[in-house]
This record gives sequence, structure tokens and C-alpha cells, in this order.
Amino acid sequence: MIELRSVSKVYDGVAVVDDVTLTLERGTLTAVVGTSGSGKSTLLRMVNRLVEPTSGQVLIDGAYTAVIAAPELRRKIGYVIQDHGLFPHWTAARNIGTVPVLLGWRRADVRSRVRELMEMLQLDPDVIGPRFPHELSGGQAQRVGVARALAARPELLLMDEPFGALDPVIRAQAQADLHRVQRRLGTTVILVTHDMAEAIRLADRIAVMRAGRIEQFAPPADIIAKPATPFVAELLGEGDRAFRYLSLKPAADVARPDGAAEGAADGPVLPGHATMAEALSEMIWTGRDRVRIANPDGDPGIVTREALIRAGRPE
Amino acid sequence: MRGGIRLLFLPLALSPLLPFAVFRANRIAQGEPRSLVETLGAGPAALAVAALAGGIAALAFARRPAWGAAIAAALILGIVLAAGWGASSLMAGVPTQARVSPGAGFWVALVAAALLLIDALARMRPRPALRLALVGFAVAAGALLLSSGALSQLSVMQEYRNRSAAFWREGASHLWLAFGSFAAAMLAGVPLGIALTRRAGARGSVLGLLTMLQTIPSMALFGMLIVPLGWLAANLPAAHALGIRGIGAAPAFVALFLYSLLPIVANTVAGITGVPRSVTEAADGMGLTRRQRLFHVDVPLALPVIITAARIVLVQNIGMATVGALIGAGGFGTFVFQGIGQTATDLILLGALPTVALASATSAVMDALIGMLPGGAR
Ligand SMILES: Nc1ncnc2c1ncn2[C@@H]1O[C@H](COP(=O)(O)OP(=O)(O)OP(=O)(O)O)[C@@H](O)[C@H]1O
Ligand SMILES: [Mg+2]
Repeated sequence: MIELRSVSKVYDGVAVVDDVTLTLERGTLTAVVGTSGSGKSTLLRMVNRLVEPTSGQVLIDGAYTAVIAAPELRRKIGYVIQDHGLFPHWTAARNIGTVPVLLGWRRADVRSRVRELMEMLQLDPDVIGPRFPHELSGGQAQRVGVARALAARPELLLMDEPFGALDPVIRAQAQADLHRVQRRLGTTVILVTHDMAEAIRLADRIAVMRAGRIEQFAPPADIIAKPATPFVAELLGEGDRAFRYLSLKPAADVARPDGAAEGAADGPVLPGHATMAEALSEMIWTGRDRVRIANPDGDPGIVTREALIRAGRPE
Repeated sequence: MRGGIRLLFLPLALSPLLPFAVFRANRIAQGEPRSLVETLGAGPAALAVAALAGGIAALAFARRPAWGAAIAAALILGIVLAAGWGASSLMAGVPTQARVSPGAGFWVALVAAALLLIDALARMRPRPALRLALVGFAVAAGALLLSSGALSQLSVMQEYRNRSAAFWREGASHLWLAFGSFAAAMLAGVPLGIALTRRAGARGSVLGLLTMLQTIPSMALFGMLIVPLGWLAANLPAAHALGIRGIGAAPAFVALFLYSLLPIVANTVAGITGVPRSVTEAADGMGLTRRQRLFHVDVPLALPVIITAARIVLVQNIGMATVGALIGAGGFGTFVFQGIGQTATDLILLGALPTVALASATSAVMDALIGMLPGGAR
């Protein structure tokens, strides 16, 4: 559990982070969103003490971070940045092994851990491992950066716009990787991003920052349903609100058993995990007013347009 | 060979028209020019011209730089051997105090061939290991040539024979001056540069001071050092025991050291501040201590820039150490200034040629070292 208690950072008389109090539960992914210069990176960097708070405290699992030697603290916290910051004179494998080596792991342990991580992130250890960073694509370098951050099995992972430099396809894959890895390892993640869609897709809770303050800290569904301030609503993009909301909910929630529908629907069967947004999109594209959705326990269910439109407006 | 470098074929082709050797009744007498035919005899001269023409034609059609380099190297060897052989034939039957030195034709041909060789080598883009091998090969070939006796009748070699003990002694002090002051400047300059990266405030004034030192002419700097070092020697027995004097090697050493500092300190600062911000941030974020970051990240990444400075400084020191002879520091400069005093060109060459060879070999080795740094560091 990460606790920020009245944390502030003042530069030249300006509070770029202003009295922020947040509690992040263990094993959750928290996204920090906000406009450029709102203090997101500064807030993140106060957790691993790359920036020392002007006032306030940061606690990890009840321990004050201020009394732990900074290098020691940082070796227990994964850190990923946008330009990946790989050491250009070391191979990918050696980059990934950085923290385990600092911690004095045995060589064989470092080597097997590096392989394990590279396989988990779909990097071929024998091909990518011996390459230098300048011989990697942007997506590969980014994954090596994530692997390096996870190497010493940190319980906390800080990510500052980790996917900012990736093209949309690779970015979607990197997001999926992060989701999978985070669920599998149970790592607590703080993810700074400019991309509201990314935050909605990945986060358990979203902290919206503006001018150093937290405007709203809530689960994605609540942020969409009840933006606390006009700024939050603006950040969401008002036009997309309903669609964003639908993209959070599984279509199966409003599906009826096939037999109950008057007249069987034809067309393709959507996979069981399809969201309401995907179901609606399918209807618009194929000109139908109902689609079928796979049901692992029996016949495909039916989702109607009316049901979706009703569900898209939170009470 | 292609491009403007082919203009060098012209001086190469015309060089046989210039005097190939200079004959003197004794080492300081007025020189008399000797043509290629007079030097080698008609038959061998015709052969030499034919070989030269063949070499130029081969160079013109050489497709691969490696062939060009091999042909240019063969030309150089041939020109030097011809000079040695010509000297022997001119010296046959004349008094031993006579001297034969290379003439204008020799120098024009040699410089043109050397430039063609350098161009071909640059185009070869040899890997660092091959470069080191080529330097080693050139040094070995030079040593073999000099020790074979093929050049023994050339005036420079006669000067060498007359003072071979002094030659090696001065050579040793030349190396000590150039490499010793370089090593001292690295030991002082790199840590100073590192310290300056952490104190942006002091950076400007320290670099300014070092820049000012660079602008002082070497003779003036020697003069300025004579007084304090002389005082040290007179008042500190320990300094005296270390060989510190107002004149001699100490002021030359200190002057070379001071000149070396600016490139080393400035490049250390530039190299370390040039490490990308994302890399230093990642290093800190991973939990490297300041020391670990310095030794594992900052310095290795700055190394190419620091070694570039080292190369500049070494070559500069090898050249400037010559001037130290003026205040009794020893080194190859001793022969240069003695030669100037006696208007004995051969003696000047005895000092200048090894200096040039030393500087070229050092520069080539340092280039190879820079090329050997691991992948991403370059
Ligand atoms: N070391 C520093 N010294 C002075 N001001 C700083 C420093 N670091 C950050 N700031 C200022 O603090 C404010 C917040 O910076 P921060 O990097 O936290 O913003 P951000 O939300 O991460 O922005 P972006 O989305 O552009 O990365 C900015 O106005 C920035 O100029
Ligand atoms: Mg930022």
C-alpha cells in the first residue's frame, strides 16, 4: 500500500505538486492523468525520491520512505520512462540484469531471471539479449525497459508515459502486455499518461491532476459517469463519454438467452468478452439492431440496441 | 582511385624531372643537385621510371581501396629503397666525409605517395584490429628497413651512426616528456572535469583559465615557469632531489602538462554532460549510487570523447616536446636545434623524422582504440 500524505513540491515559490493525499491499494493499477505541466512526473518521482518532497510524507507498506537510503529504496521500485533510458553501452540482457546485479544476485540467478523476463515479454533471449539498445526497435527497447524495471521483482512499479513514443498498434500491444503482467505478478503500478483512453482501459483508479492538485480520484466508471469538475469532463472529451462508458462494460451483462428473442438474429457471434461498445459498433457497421454474443455455458445470447442505449447512460 | 585525389598523380609522374639527391662534399658544404640518372645510373633510372609509371597506372585502375593502399605502400618502399641505393652508388669512391641526402624529387614523390596511401587507407575503413595490425606492420617494416643497412649511406643515417647513443637517450626523454606529461594531465584532468560537472558555477572560470593558458606561446610559458621552479629547486631540497630545476625537463614537463589540461578537462565535461538525460535518470531510478553511476554509466559513455582529447593531447605533446630542447629539456628537438645552429639539414631531419613517425603511429593507435569501444558507446 502506498500512502501520500499532504505531499507538496515547491519550485521557485510555485507549488507544482500541491498538498496531494492519496492511498493506493496493493496490487492495483493507478493511472495519473492531466495536462502537460500539471505535476504528474513530479508526483511520481517523489515516490522513489528522485524528487524530494518539500513537505509531506510518502509511506510504502507503512514505512516512511524518507528514512530509507535512496538507492536502496529505488532498487525495490521498478521505474520505466518514456525514452526507456536503456544504457547504450550495455546489451539488452545486461540492461535487464542491472538491478539484480546491484543487489548482488548470483550470476546464474541473474541470467535465468533475464531469460524468464524476456520470454514473458515476448523477446527472444538469444536474439534480442545480445543486442545493444541502438539495434532495437522502439517497441523492443520499450519492452526491455519494462523487463529491466521488473527484474528484481519489485512490488511497486512506476511508469512515466511508458508508451508515449510507440505507434498505435505497438502501443495497444504494450498496454495488453502490461495488463497481463500486472495481473499475473500482482504488482502495484502507478502509470502516468496523457492518454485518457489508456487510463480507462488499464486503471483500477484514475487520479486526474491539474496545476499540482488532484481533481478527482476514482475508478474509471465513476470518472466517466460523474466527472467531479468541468476540467475532468473536458479531459474525458464530452463527445465520447457514452462510448467510453460502454467500452468499460461487458456486453454479456445485457445479453438475453437466445430463445427469449423474438426471431433469431443472424450474423457473426461476438466473443464472450466483447464490450458494449464493440457490440454497438458491430450493429452500426452491419446495419442490424441485434447481435449474438458467445456464451460459454450454452447457446449464444442476444444483445439488442435498446438494451445498449439504456446501459450507456449511467443513472 | 577516383576523384580529386588523382591530381596527385601529376607531381608523382613529374618527380623524376627534379633532382633526386643532393650531394655535399661534407656535412655543411653547399649541396649540389643530382638527377635521377646521375644518382642511379641510366639503366636503373629507366627501370625506376618504368616502375613508377606502372605504379601510377595500377593506382589509376585500382578498384578496391585495399589494392590502392598496397600499391601506394609499394611505391613508398620503392622510393625509399631507391634513395638508399642511390646514396650508396654516389658515395662509392668519394671521401667518407661526403654526404648524400634526398633531393626535391624524392620528397615530392614520397609526399604524393604518402597522401595517396592515407587516402586509400581512409577509404578502406579498416576495422580497429586491422588498423592496429597495419600500424604494427608499418613499424616493423620501418625498423627492418633501417636496420637492414639498405639506407646506411643516406646522410641522416650517417648522422644517426655518429650519435646513436644520444639518439636513443634523447628519444627516451622525448617519450618521457610527451607521455609523462600526458599521463599526469589525464590523472589530474579527468577528475577535475568530473568535479566540474557537479559544480556548474566553477566550470566557466576553470575552463576560462585553462583556455588562457593555451594561448600563451610555449617559449613564454617556459620563461614564466623558470622563475617559480628555480625558486622551488633552490629552497626545497626535496624538489631539487626530484630533479626539478628552473631549466631542463621540469619546466617543459609542466608546460606540456598545462597545455594538455584544457582538451582533457573540456572533453571530460562535454562527454559527461552529453550523457542523455533519460539515461542518467534511469540510472538514478534503478538505484545506482553516485559512484556506481559515475563508473558504470557516466565515464564509460563519455569515454569516446575523453579518448578523442587524449589523442589530440598526445599528438600535440609529441610535437611540442621538440620545443623543450630550447631550455635544455632534451628530446628529439635537441637534434633539430643543433642542426639549425650548424645549418646541418641532415641533423634537423634526424630530430624531425622520428617525431613525425611517433606522432603518426600514436594517432593511428588512438584512432583504433576509439573504434574498439563497445557498440553503443560510440
Ligand atoms: N527541477 C525542476 N525545477 C524547476 N521546475 C520544475 C522542475 N521539474 C519540474 N518543474 C516544473 O514543474 C511543473 C510540473 O512538471 P512535471 O514534469 O511534473 O509535469 P508533467 O505533468 O509531468 O508534464 P508532462 O505531461 O509535460 O510530462 C512544470 O511547470 C515544470 O516546469
Ligand atoms: Mg512528465
